[in-house]
This record gives sequence, C-alpha cells and structure tokens, in this order.
Amino acid sequence: MAKTTLTKKINLYGWLFVIPAALFIFILNFYPMVSAFLLSLQTGRGNNLKFAGLKNYARLFQDEMFLTSVGNVITYLVIQVPVMLLLALVLASILNNPKLKGRGIFRTLIFLPCATSLVSSAMIFKSFFSIDGIVNTTLMGLGVLQSPMSWLTHPIWAKFVIILTITWRWTGYNTVFYLAGLQNIDRSVYEAARIDGASASRQFFSITIPLLKPVILLTTIMSTNGTLQLFDEVRNITNGGPGIATLSISQYIYNLSFMYNPQFGYAAAVSYAILVMVAVLSFIQIKVGDKR
Amino acid sequence: MKKTMCVVLALLLVVSSLAFAGGKAETAAAAADPNAPVTLTVWCWDPTFNIFAMNEAAKIYAVDHPNVKINVVETPWNDLQQKLITSLSANAASNLPDIILMQDNAIQKNVMTYPEAYVALNGKIDLTQFAQFKVDVGTIEGKHYGVPFDNGATGTFLRRDIVEKAGLKVSDFNDITWERFIELGKIVKQKTGIAMISTVANEPDFPMLMLQSAGTWMFDEAGKAYIKDNTVLKEALRITKEMVQSGVCILVPDWNAYIATLNNGTVASTINGCWISGSIQAEKSQSGKWAVVNTPRFANIAGSVNYSSQGGSGWMVMANSKHPDVAIDFLAKTFGGSVALYETILPASGAIATWLPAAKSPVYSTPIEFFGGQKIYEDLVNYAGKVPNVKYGVFNYEARDAIARALSEVMQGGSIDAALATAQKNVEFLMSE
Repeated sequence: MAKTTLTKKINLYGWLFVIPAALFIFILNFYPMVSAFLLSLQTGRGNNLKFAGLKNYARLFQDEMFLTSVGNVITYLVIQVPVMLLLALVLASILNNPKLKGRGIFRTLIFLPCATSLVSSAMIFKSFFSIDGIVNTTLMGLGVLQSPMSWLTHPIWAKFVIILTITWRWTGYNTVFYLAGLQNIDRSVYEAARIDGASASRQFFSITIPLLKPVILLTTIMSTNGTLQLFDEVRNITNGGPGIATLSISQYIYNLSFMYNPQFGYAAAVSYAILVMVAVLSFIQIKVGDKR
Repeated sequence: MKKTMCVVLALLLVVSSLAFAGGKAETAAAAADPNAPVTLTVWCWDPTFNIFAMNEAAKIYAVDHPNVKINVVETPWNDLQQKLITSLSANAASNLPDIILMQDNAIQKNVMTYPEAYVALNGKIDLTQFAQFKVDVGTIEGKHYGVPFDNGATGTFLRRDIVEKAGLKVSDFNDITWERFIELGKIVKQKTGIAMISTVANEPDFPMLMLQSAGTWMFDEAGKAYIKDNTVLKEALRITKEMVQSGVCILVPDWNAYIATLNNGTVASTINGCWISGSIQAEKSQSGKWAVVNTPRFANIAGSVNYSSQGGSGWMVMANSKHPDVAIDFLAKTFGGSVALYETILPASGAIATWLPAAKSPVYSTPIEFFGGQKIYEDLVNYAGKVPNVKYGVFNYEARDAIARALSEVMQGGSIDAALATAQKNVEFLMSE
C-alpha cells in the first residue's frame, strides 16, 4: 500500500519535471510546424491570406526557380555528402590508431572547424576565393593561372567553393561520430584479421565499414538533412549567384518571405517540400542501410 | 522537506515556462501634455550618411523642442526589411520604430503589402518643395508616404589623372553615349592598363540605371511585367555584356570589393548614384584626382537622356507610432524645412538634398577640393532635376533578381532574347498567386 503511494509520488514528480520541457517543445516546435502546414494551404501576400487548399503544392511543380534550387541542392548532396563521409571515415581510422603520436592535438584540430560560426567560415572562404584572394595569388605564383580567376561568378566553380566550405566545416563533426563508433569495435577483431593475414585496406572494408554501418547511416541521414536545409554558406558566399546557379531551397524560402513581396503561404509550402524530401531520403537510406 | 522543495521547484519551472509563453503585457502611456518628454525611435543605415543626417536633424529640432529626443538605431537595409515584414505579418507592429528609412525601390512593395502600417503625409508636409521624381516614388494611389531624403541621381565619377594620362580630357566623357564610353574605355585601358569601370558581378546595377535613363522600367503602365519585349532592356544587357567582354568593365564579387577598386585605383571611373561620392572621398590620398560628369545615354533609343537615378531613399512615419504628429512635425521642420540641416550634412557626408530650397544654399556652389575644385554638388543637383520619372512598381525586387539572372546567363554566352524570356516567365510566376 505504502509502496503504491510512493510510486505515485515519484510518477508525479516525474511528470512535473517533464512538463516544462515538453511544453517548450510543444510551443516552440510542434505548434509552429502545425501552423506552418496550415499556412502552406493559404495564398496571398503579407497578411491578406485566404485558404486555397493544395494550390501552393501544385505551384511548386511549375516553379522553375524552386526546381533549379532543388537541382542545386541535390548536386551539393550527391557530391558533397559521400566525399565528406569518406574523408571523415579515413580521418577517423587514422586517428583511431593507438600508435599515432599527438592524437589529442589532431583530434582537436579536426574538430575545430565545427566550433566556428557558419557565417565566419563562409566569409573566410569567400575571401580566399576572391579575385585578389590567397587561392588566386597562390595559383598564379605557381604558374597554374595566368590571370586571376573569378571563382564566385562562375556557375560551376561557385558550386565548388560552396561544397568545399561545407566539407571543411562538417568533416570534423562526422569524424567524431566515427571515432566514437570505432572505439566500440573490439581490438581483438582486428588482431584476428591480422593473424589471418588481412591487409590494412581489407580490414578497413571488411571490418571497419560493416561494423560502423549504424553510425554511417546516422551521419548520412544527418548530412542529407543538413545539406537540404543549406542556407548560411550560400547566402554569405554567393547569395545564390551567379544568377541562381547556387541558390539553395532555404534561401529561396528566405527570398520569398523577405526579399520579394511576402508570400508566406507559398514559402511554407516550399519548406514542407524540404520536409518531404528529407523524409523520403531518410526512409530510403534506412531501408538500404539497415538490413537487420 | 526535500520533496516539498522538489515540488516547489518543478512548479516554478512550469509557471515560468507558461509566463514566457504568455508574453509581456503592453505598457503604453498617452502623452496629453505637449511638453511631455517624447522619444522617437528611428531605424536607418550607414553611420556616415543617413544616421549622421538624422542625428544632425535631431540637434536642429531639439532647439525648439527640447522635450523631443531622437533615438537612432543602426539597422542595415536588409535587416530593416526583414524586421518590417516579420513584425507586420505577426501583427506585432509595437516592435517597430516611429520613423524608418525606406529604399525608393522597395516603398511600393511595402506600402501595397501593409498599407495600414504607414502614415499618409498628405497635407501635413509640403512635398511640393521636393524634386518631383522623388515625391512620385513615394506616392501610392494618391497618398504620399515618403519624405524624400537622399538623392539617387547618377553621375560618372572619373579619375581625372588617369584619363589625362591616356591623353583624354574629363569633358570628353560628358554628354556621351554608352558606345562612346566603351571606345574611350578601350583607349584608357590601352594607354594606361587600367580598366575603365567596375561593377558587382551578380547585380544588375548598370541595366537598371540604363533603363531609368530612358524613362523605362521592367513594368508597363498597367503594372504587368515588361521584360521579354523590352527593347531598352535588351540594349542595356547587350551594352553591359560588351563592356565586360571588351575589358572596359571588370566584375567584382561583392560591394566591398567594388569600393576597393575605386579606392585603390584599380579602375578609372564609376557610374553610380551620387551617394557614392562619400565612399570615394573616404580615400584621402586621391584628393584632387576625381571629377564628375553626367551619365552616358543610349545612342539608338529615342528619349534616352544623360541622367538617371540609383538607390535613393526616403523617411516614412509608421502608423504604430505613439506620437505620429510629433514624428511628422519633426520631419517637416528638418528634412522638409531646414536649409541649415542640409548645409551641415552636405559638406560632412555628401548627402545631396532633394529638398529644392536647400539647393539654393551657397554651400552647394562651394568648389570641392577633392574633385579638383569642381562644384560637384551644384552639378549633381542639376542632374537630379533632369532624371526621368519611372514607377518602380510592387514587384521591383522580383524583376531585379530576374534581370540579375538574365545578365549572368548572357555573360556566360546565352542569348539575350532567351534569357529575357525566362526572366519574364519567372517574374510572372512570382506575381501570380
């Protein structure tokens, strides 16, 4: 009898402690999500909104700028995510080597980009690739370029600079995940493999990658999600240009809301399009990656 | 005891989170007494220009109205626009200041989207004393919303020393066509190795000022997008491309790089709104080396003149202001009624008036040493009077963006007709609902 009241009391405290956080999550997260969805069903400018059903969603498919921004983001995704994750995996394997001297320093250095603000890293990369920036100066000094190259005004090179910036900023972040994953792999597995005569690359592909699969899946989903919502880098490095060659979906949402005549309903529909894309891609990745 | 504490703490958390969600109550006190202290908040950008002018205006107004305090908050234009839209769309206009500075090319959009947010100034400020083209910019459906401030009249700002080194005279650049400008640019490039002019790569600044010089814009009388068959626009893109391809014009990635080309002598000239003179004069070592002439015109478009406008702005009074009458009176007695104000801000910041009585002040006819003794302010005010009037329209930013993209496609070798057809389609899409 006494025990039940105690359990009840503990439960009560539990609820009391959970409620504030739950309330915040509800108010700051779920409520905006629902109201953004309702907003996406309305058309109009500013506050003169009227209900229009799924019209905004139908509009998406005729919107050349939206489709271009989706194309841009998919380009970033397809090139950047695999390159970055492979790089992170390689770095993590190197850093996991117990014989490596100064591991602590290298780990810190590789994680450090994550501690910089997105805007400042974007500004720094922008200055690297400006007409009189360090990249042009170096390449001209080496004789690779005859005259300064205008990286950021070229549709393909501008994309390259953005991909480079994201990779620099996020590789260390993913490396940390892989390091944590690697530390859970039993050393004896590698020992056994070595005794059986497996080469280092064989160990990497036949032990490290399969055993890290859950972590790789997690990082893939996170990176995909992050790249689909790309904003800061594009806004600061090229502002979507030249033309709309580097425009990301999030920046298009920003333009629709704050640059152009505000079309909040349509902008909300675009943001739900990102949600659907993230959901679909994550679903595919889970289906492909998780074969348990 | 411990348990009671736990409960109390947890309850406290719940209550505080609810209080946060609830929001703060509004405290507003109406001032009935005319001498009661009033604080007007102003949002504007550029400390050396607009903010400086606003603070000077505050000093002048304070002489007769010591109870009125002006609180200027530096707010860059992009932030200002974003804050305006966010606050107005959330029905939270109380976050907004009493007076804002508005870009000329955004005023239509903002007033049409939120007409209730701004105070119409009809009959409250004498706008007949301002340059007509600036008043028209801020007039929507017969209501005047803007008090014109900085002048966007364009000029060709030239490096006297560089063009003379190329064997040319400053006057060779006055009253010329764009074709002639390119020819002269080639001569300068060939003789001195210095590019004639620079522009920000992703911005259609040249096509925009070319359009206005021909009295045309990207919208027709009915407000429909006029891009695809706009012959002026086609010509503007063609000339801009030719300037870049011939090496006369160099492209820079952003605004800072653009200003750097002026200050470090990478280019021999720039064509922009007269407010650029502030940035030019910031480089003291180039004193005496600059000159101003008017803007090139089209050779083969009727009605094209050597005058245009780029990037002016005006003051607006917000409807949420608790003291709209004080705000209007303040603007009327300073920016719309004080020669002394313009006499102070002109030499210090180069802020050229659109309030015509100020242009009669002797300050405007002072020779400016930085420009080799040229009376540049007199010349620029003179240009301002001849700028063709255009309606920027509600969808100006959409169209401007589309032209930026078209320009970039043309630069990459695309056809002008195809690029403009795409631009027309994109703008029409954004205009539809």
